[in-house]
Amino acid sequence: MSSRDFVYSKFSEFYNNPSTVIPAPSSLEQREFAYLMFKERFMVRHKRFENIQAFQNVLTRNVPSDVYHSCTYYEKPDLEMDKKGWIGSDLVFDIDADHIPTSCGKIHDEWICQKCKFSGKGITPEECPVCSSDKFSVKTWPCDLCIESTRVETAKLIDMLTKDFGFATNELHVFFSGHRGYHVHVENEAVRSLDALSRKEIVDYITGLGLSVLDRDTKEKFAKSKKRGVTAKNFKLGDYGWDRRLKIGMAKLLSSATSDELKSLGLKNNNLFKNKDVILKRAIEENRWDTVSGVSMATWLKLVEQVKILESANIDTVVTTDVHRLIRMNGTLHGKTGLLKTEFAAHQLDAFDPFTQAVAFKKGTAKVLVSDAPKFRMGGATWGPYKNVKVVLPTAAAIMLILKDRAEVST
Amino acid sequence: MMDRNLSTVSASFTKSDLAKYPFLKESARYFSPIDLQIEDLISPDMHQILDRAMERVTLAITNFTVRPSNTEKHVIKDLQKEIFSFPVAIMLVAATNNSLIKKRYALAEAKQATSEMSLEPKDLLLKIAFDFGWKITLSPPDSKYEFTLYFTSFLQNASHFHAAKWKLINRKLSEGNVYLNKHDVERLLQEEIKQRIEKRLNNITLDQYPPEISEKAEELKKLAAENLGQGETDFPKIIIQEAFPPCINTLYAAASKNHHLPHMGRFALTTFLVNIGMSAESVTELFKSFSDYNERLTRYQVEHIAGERGSGTKYTCPQCSILQTHNVCKNRDDFCKRIYHPLKYYKNKTDILSQNQSETPKENSDNKNS
Ligand code: SF4
Ligand SMILES: [Zn+2]
Ligand SMILES: [Zn+2]
Repeated sequence: MSSRDFVYSKFSEFYNNPSTVIPAPSSLEQREFAYLMFKERFMVRHKRFENIQAFQNVLTRNVPSDVYHSCTYYEKPDLEMDKKGWIGSDLVFDIDADHIPTSCGKIHDEWICQKCKFSGKGITPEECPVCSSDKFSVKTWPCDLCIESTRVETAKLIDMLTKDFGFATNELHVFFSGHRGYHVHVENEAVRSLDALSRKEIVDYITGLGLSVLDRDTKEKFAKSKKRGVTAKNFKLGDYGWDRRLKIGMAKLLSSATSDELKSLGLKNNNLFKNKDVILKRAIEENRWDTVSGVSMATWLKLVEQVKILESANIDTVVTTDVHRLIRMNGTLHGKTGLLKTEFAAHQLDAFDPFTQAVAFKKGTAKVLVSDAPKFRMGGATWGPYKNVKVVLPTAAAIMLILKDRAEVST
Repeated sequence: MMDRNLSTVSASFTKSDLAKYPFLKESARYFSPIDLQIEDLISPDMHQILDRAMERVTLAITNFTVRPSNTEKHVIKDLQKEIFSFPVAIMLVAATNNSLIKKRYALAEAKQATSEMSLEPKDLLLKIAFDFGWKITLSPPDSKYEFTLYFTSFLQNASHFHAAKWKLINRKLSEGNVYLNKHDVERLLQEEIKQRIEKRLNNITLDQYPPEISEKAEELKKLAAENLGQGETDFPKIIIQEAFPPCINTLYAAASKNHHLPHMGRFALTTFLVNIGMSAESVTELFKSFSDYNERLTRYQVEHIAGERGSGTKYTCPQCSILQTHNVCKNRDDFCKRIYHPLKYYKNKTDILSQNQSETPKENSDNKNS
């Protein structure tokens, strides 16, 4: 049996298993459904279903590799795009290790230039160092550090959505994406009708784009005065929104960072470090910014810039602003890992472990020839690293290695 | 008599409020649908109203206002006439079928309303905001900010403004509410009013107007041609690459080096080229010369964007702030500081380039003219 056939048979077993429960999205009959055919590799789109059972029957019959539904509500979800009749759309966020710097440096990812076959490990370069083509095949890997990095971003996002935007926790649906990241869907009557431009403003808020802490007059005054090293009058931060976040972030950074760490962030004025107690108490706590000596306006602004980077959340900007978006369906398999997109309560973010709680294939083993795999966790145990060896692995681990192009079924 | 009966039913606005803010839903009770019969509009009784309506639009075109400067604020003599002149003015503007006049009129009405609102007490503003379905509350008297507005109502209007202070990120946002002062609320309401009027204007689709209305509409069109110019869509006939904004140059260079463009980059480049006058055909050709691309798909996408497929709407190039959000705004230059849209960049730059050309030595320009 080929490796693909093996995975297909397992996916088929999963969708045919009567105990497989796929949660229905809200207002199911107003959403578009879509799925990628496992073998034929084409996307079936513009489907509408009356109820989850009807859709599950289709999954049983067709066994797709990936399953999606629209974040959008339509009058007629099964018509072509221009005729669907847009009603509204959930506000969705996607945080994916593919798009953010991670602490592992992605050393487990492998890229190969499609043109000259030159290859390397780590972050895929913009262009091939040999032939400067920019087309690569990339073998990614969902490592713990990658997922941890996305978890940190997700935590910041959820904090903003609840405290600043005031969404109740039951309006937030938080998911492990099934690969290496998280999704957050906001289902709230008032946000449904927001247009792309309004969503863009929400994105900018989350990512920190366009933040300016000085009002126009102060900015102009500051631009004109070339004096450095003077106490910055006029610099202050309020108690709401990003002002509040900046203050919390400053306190966090200043109370934990060493002098060298601050310098490495470009914060060279040592008074930030020396006077940190004064800054923490008088400025951040008591709002008496003008009593801090030796910190210029320029330094405050640099500090703000760094804290903004630390406190903003790295989301995929296109996903959130797109009001016709398809998103992976909760409870279905991810075609790159065999893991499930899985919902959990927002406060469970720290506790949720994808490699035990998003595992679909809990039974059986398979013998595989692994070409190359880093050490990894699956189903509560640790495996690898492997290099050109035959091993017997639990089904979930074998499937992930195969889907990640790191192993073949062996006899 | 009739008025009083009605006003006990919903006593929210006075008649003089409605004369100042005739776009409010409630003013409809002063003109029933029957009043709006087109034949009535041209009856002798209606003459005064038609005149006042004409005055509204004329002033909008010439002076960016809808009330003569000699009318004292708050003092409107004939309230009924004033209220009624508004829907008639809407009819006149719709009959011009000219988007420039529509925009201008809607904005002039909105500006007029804003200057009235600046003199009003806060609770009247609140009532006006409710008319637009805003989720807004008045802060207790001792608070630093006068209003709290739910962020979705804020965004629906503020997202159309370009100044940094209108970005949500630069606002006091807490628990879903944005804290605002009265002046902010007036400015946001202005946008809301403008949008409502534009929508009303665009919803009227009559095939034929009575001759009296059409005549006046013709007059207005002449007036607009003298006062408003041609709008901004006239780009030079040829493509002037020298005038491309930095973001587009960057995309163009990447595409010509055979590099993969992210979706938003591709969309920006295509819409830009189509909008400055390149045909879908030549854009497809251009992409073809670049790369190992999928011809069928590219042609389909480009034609879709150019409005030659699907709904038939031509997509416009995204404004700068959108390209910034998606990291497509690259290599910003000084010229960028004065514009909000890549097409505006191109327009201004081509204007400057052609000016420089016409400023070349005299004999040259004489040559051209001969
Ligand atoms: S500011 Fe606008 S025109 Fe200038 S590079 Fe950025 S997106 Fe392009
Ligand atoms: Zn290469
Ligand atoms: Zn990693």
